[in-house]
Amino acid sequence: MLAYVVRKVLSAVPTLFGVALIVFILFNTVGGDPTYQMLGRHATAKQVAELRHEYGFDQPQYIQFITYLKQIVTFDYGRSYATKQKISDMILDGIGPSLSLMIPAFLVTTLLSLGLALLVAYFRGRWIDRTIVIVCVFGMSLSMLAYILFGQYFFAYKMGWFPISGYEPMWPERIQYLILPGLIFVAVSLGYDVRFYRTAILDETNQDYVRTARAKGLSEGRVYFKHVLKNSMIPILTNIVIEIPLLILGAFLLESFFGIPGLGSMTIDAVHNSDFPVIKAMTTLDAMLFIFGNLLTDILYTLVDPRVTFE
Amino acid sequence: MTTKTSDQNRNGVAGFGAFVSSHVVGKGLLRDAWIRLQRDKIALLCIGIVALYAAVALMVQMGWLATPWDEVVSGAYQPPSFASYKTILGTDIFGRSVFFKVLQGTRIAMSVGLVSSLISIPIGVCLGAIGGYFGGWVDDLVVWVYTTVSSIPNIMLLIAIAFLLGKGLPAIYVALGATSWVSLARIMRGEFIKHKSRDYVVAAESIGASHRSRIFRHILPNVSHFIIINLSIQFMTAIKAEVILSFLGLGVQGQPSWGVMIDDAKLELSRGVWWQLAGATVAMFFVVLAFNILGDSLRDALDPKIK
Amino acid sequence: MGRLKVLIMALAVVFSGCSFKSTEPPNTLHVYVSAKLKGLDPIYTDDLYSGIQTSQPYETLLQYNYLKRPLELEPLLAESMPVLSEGGKKIVFRLKKGVFFQDNPCFKETKGKGREMRAEDFVYSFKRLADPALASPGWWVFEDKVVGLNAWRELALKSGKADYTAPVEGIKAPDPYTLEIHLTRPAYQLLYSLTMVYTAVVPHEAVEFYGKEFLNHPVGTGPWQLAEFNPSSRIIWKRNPTYRKEVYPSVGESGDKEAGLLEDAGKALPLADQVNVQIITETQPQWLNFVAGKLDALSIPKDNFSTVINEKRELRPEFKEKGIQLRVTPLYDTTHATFNMVDPIIGKNKYLRQAISLAYDQETFNDLFYNGRAILAEGPIPPGLSGYSAELKNPYRRFNVSKAKELMAKAGYPEGKGLPPLEYATLADSFYRQTAEYFQKLMEPLGIKVNVTAYSWPQFLEAMKNKKAQIWEFAWGADYPDGENFLQLFYSKNFSPGPNDGNYSNPDFDRMYEHSLTLPDSPERTALYRKMVDLLVEDCPWIFEAHRIGFFLSQPWFKNYKPSDLDHRTYKYYRIDTALKK
Repeated sequence: MLAYVVRKVLSAVPTLFGVALIVFILFNTVGGDPTYQMLGRHATAKQVAELRHEYGFDQPQYIQFITYLKQIVTFDYGRSYATKQKISDMILDGIGPSLSLMIPAFLVTTLLSLGLALLVAYFRGRWIDRTIVIVCVFGMSLSMLAYILFGQYFFAYKMGWFPISGYEPMWPERIQYLILPGLIFVAVSLGYDVRFYRTAILDETNQDYVRTARAKGLSEGRVYFKHVLKNSMIPILTNIVIEIPLLILGAFLLESFFGIPGLGSMTIDAVHNSDFPVIKAMTTLDAMLFIFGNLLTDILYTLVDPRVTFE
Repeated sequence: MTTKTSDQNRNGVAGFGAFVSSHVVGKGLLRDAWIRLQRDKIALLCIGIVALYAAVALMVQMGWLATPWDEVVSGAYQPPSFASYKTILGTDIFGRSVFFKVLQGTRIAMSVGLVSSLISIPIGVCLGAIGGYFGGWVDDLVVWVYTTVSSIPNIMLLIAIAFLLGKGLPAIYVALGATSWVSLARIMRGEFIKHKSRDYVVAAESIGASHRSRIFRHILPNVSHFIIINLSIQFMTAIKAEVILSFLGLGVQGQPSWGVMIDDAKLELSRGVWWQLAGATVAMFFVVLAFNILGDSLRDALDPKIK
Repeated sequence: MGRLKVLIMALAVVFSGCSFKSTEPPNTLHVYVSAKLKGLDPIYTDDLYSGIQTSQPYETLLQYNYLKRPLELEPLLAESMPVLSEGGKKIVFRLKKGVFFQDNPCFKETKGKGREMRAEDFVYSFKRLADPALASPGWWVFEDKVVGLNAWRELALKSGKADYTAPVEGIKAPDPYTLEIHLTRPAYQLLYSLTMVYTAVVPHEAVEFYGKEFLNHPVGTGPWQLAEFNPSSRIIWKRNPTYRKEVYPSVGESGDKEAGLLEDAGKALPLADQVNVQIITETQPQWLNFVAGKLDALSIPKDNFSTVINEKRELRPEFKEKGIQLRVTPLYDTTHATFNMVDPIIGKNKYLRQAISLAYDQETFNDLFYNGRAILAEGPIPPGLSGYSAELKNPYRRFNVSKAKELMAKAGYPEGKGLPPLEYATLADSFYRQTAEYFQKLMEPLGIKVNVTAYSWPQFLEAMKNKKAQIWEFAWGADYPDGENFLQLFYSKNFSPGPNDGNYSNPDFDRMYEHSLTLPDSPERTALYRKMVDLLVEDCPWIFEAHRIGFFLSQPWFKNYKPSDLDHRTYKYYRIDTALKK
């Protein structure tokens, strides 16, 4: 087991290197030189050269890449070009708002979609199944921007049920700002999740052992809850774990529209400002989370499903 | 698409006689699928909707429809009226027809879907096929490439590529094409691993078929239904992504796309101008819905595993 | 749907019910800024929004009188206006006594009590602006102007570290309350720069104590003390309990008394107890928050303009009834399209530029994009600044397509024939995308094709520097109320990356500009400014587009609101009428 985990972890190293390489190539060559922005419109050519030297932009590419690799290992990404703040502090500041939006929204989505999926899978083929699946597909087909613009205009402005945007770091004050974006997140992602889980459960219902169980005379409810549910947990768990790292950036539209100072809106700002250190940090961290998530799923597989071995 | 695949199929398999043909699911499967699809009324309706959008896109492209879209047809921000078909969805800030812009947006959406698929599908198929078929270090390399790409948040990749290529339609094509091949490559690799040891492939090898021939003439036709399913999803993702990119200011320049229209709506909504948002959203909604349902129906019809 | 609605309402009630017993004092201002902040170190605040915030805790030698228009300088940390001698090359300030820095843990010797400010602190603060390692965007304020400061900077560059103990000949503190500045040449505009927050006084203890984190821990002499700071969501300022006695002005311009702006004359500042500054970047929530009464003041977003203001430029009755006030004030800015003057086609062909300028229909533009909240720019200098002339009628700004076509022929491109498509650069956002489309439409009748490229801000600046386009959209907001601030944009020694982004160069202009620098504000200088403007009108290095007019709303309970785009140190004058707000 331990050897398996170690091997898995080691296998993540080349991926991480690949990520670093791509991120470096893409963002180091694009996005404009930040120097002009840092010095403002009164800058002189001499000042630009001085600043470029100060920040090491004039060093050869491979040295800059090595510096970046060092940063990945040490988790020290330095300071943002645009805000001059320490990136680790910016991330720590952003994690709170991001998570207080995403954790409840994600939990609600997952529980609700699991519940609905169980319901529709149980009643598969009947009207309730059809209706819910159709609603899900409708929900999936609407652009997230439409949800946001409509939600902000109608529920917050016209009806006045929620604040239009903003954020307060205090509890419970912050909750009122998170409800509407949270609901929008649920609305946007529910459709996909319900359908995914429904398929996962139905896949299991078609397995031979279910037929055997039924043939043995076990009641439908017993088959369903005892066998089907247990076994369909694997794809469901995978989906959940895979979605976790996506949560952080996945909400960038919600965050920037609702003025929530989380990691998503921070990343978008960084892109607009060619704030390379922040982009590097966020992309790398997200990739690391993703890789870690995959790792975790692999390990979970071996725990949940005896068929999978530590090859 | 369908006919082409079956042609390849026929040519590729003709020489192997009865022994091989029983393993060739491609042609029969497609026919079966088509029969099953025909029974599925909703799927047919969706095909109709997609065809309609495609026709509109084509007509706009040829200049038969919604041209010139940048003509001033009325005052600025006129609400929808039935005075003329041009003002049926109202006008925008310059007094241009929102209806025409929606139609022009259809062209862009469909072209984004099409071109990005034309980029991503060959990449996905080739990488997946090569990795799955050859195994060993080639496979390791393929897996490394797609794990790496899929580990980077998609939106960041999109943004970076859009920045790199400068903005505009070509950049969107490439950005979407270059980021959306991963899932297809993954599926293809899995299928090729399954198929390469099947009897018909072994048989083909025994009569001296080259690697290339085995990959493209024997195995590929048998797994091509995954490409069709993927195409439907790819279209939908591309259309949605175009909207987000345009919203971030990385989208189409100087042409009316749905994303640009929704972006405009951000400024217009509070002054009560809802028709651009509504027009673009509804237009987008139906085509995405059609692709969504179609994707499912195709999966049901083509993938014998789930019935 | 019905059940969902009930659920949502129930949720909303639960959360709005259990929270929000506000702990803030009733006399709390609720304002917003529309961009995320860069931090609160004076030497880095080069954008408007960070500038406004940094101006609250920090103070400068001079400030603008809050009420008078045109803007007038008055002493802030200086005891009186400075004495200028040696033909404007020596400036002597007497400083106020009993000015203390805010209490802060960085003052270790006094166990956190703020110490008294001395003239030495200014010497230190000015050196920070020049320190090459800090790379301040505000270095231009003193660059080439203060005796010995450039040399001090050079030395720091060579040795790799600035020596703050090394004296600079041009900035001296002969005693704790006297500050002497020696200039290499007369620089009358420097006094205006001494209101800019770049030149604010900071205590070296704080810089040393907080190191790189100094930008999050402002320690100034000002009326507001930082209580909470999140650069991307909000700032809370609390009244500085040790603030010296400063009072609300008792003289304003005509009309101020009627507008109720003199009711608090003579009262001690700051008038409010707390300021909550929200960062709201999208215009829709700004507007909606104001309408909901959650913001005290608002610059009306373009798309809400017609809902608030009628055709006569007055507040619509439904807003008037609520007691909402409208204030209209011209902004000291000039929007423009810059021509790339080193481009072989557009830079070398005056007629082509004039033709484009003539075909640029500004009035329709102002209606479409500014709701008419702008006046046509005839030249670079906005009204209210010396050198502006209401009589100036720029012959190339009278919208006239047929005359533009004639000029196109004269330029060698009749009907646009032979002219390759123009490369036009702008910013990637909805507003600029629409204005670019507008430009494309206007150039069509001349037969000019326009390729638009939209950039992010840093990319845009880089593209300008590398002259990747032939024409680009830009705006300049005044740093200080002097026409010179706009004329320097055409001085050839300010080539990009300096402020002369189009690299316009004209020896006649340069000579006049250099001469104008040696003159104090006088009819002679104003006449010279006008001559320079005439030259620019003919050379047409920009399409002079518009000078914007600000339309600001305030709630009935928000007192003493008089917006200005140059005066940032205004929170101390505002007050909430708590009785009205109930």
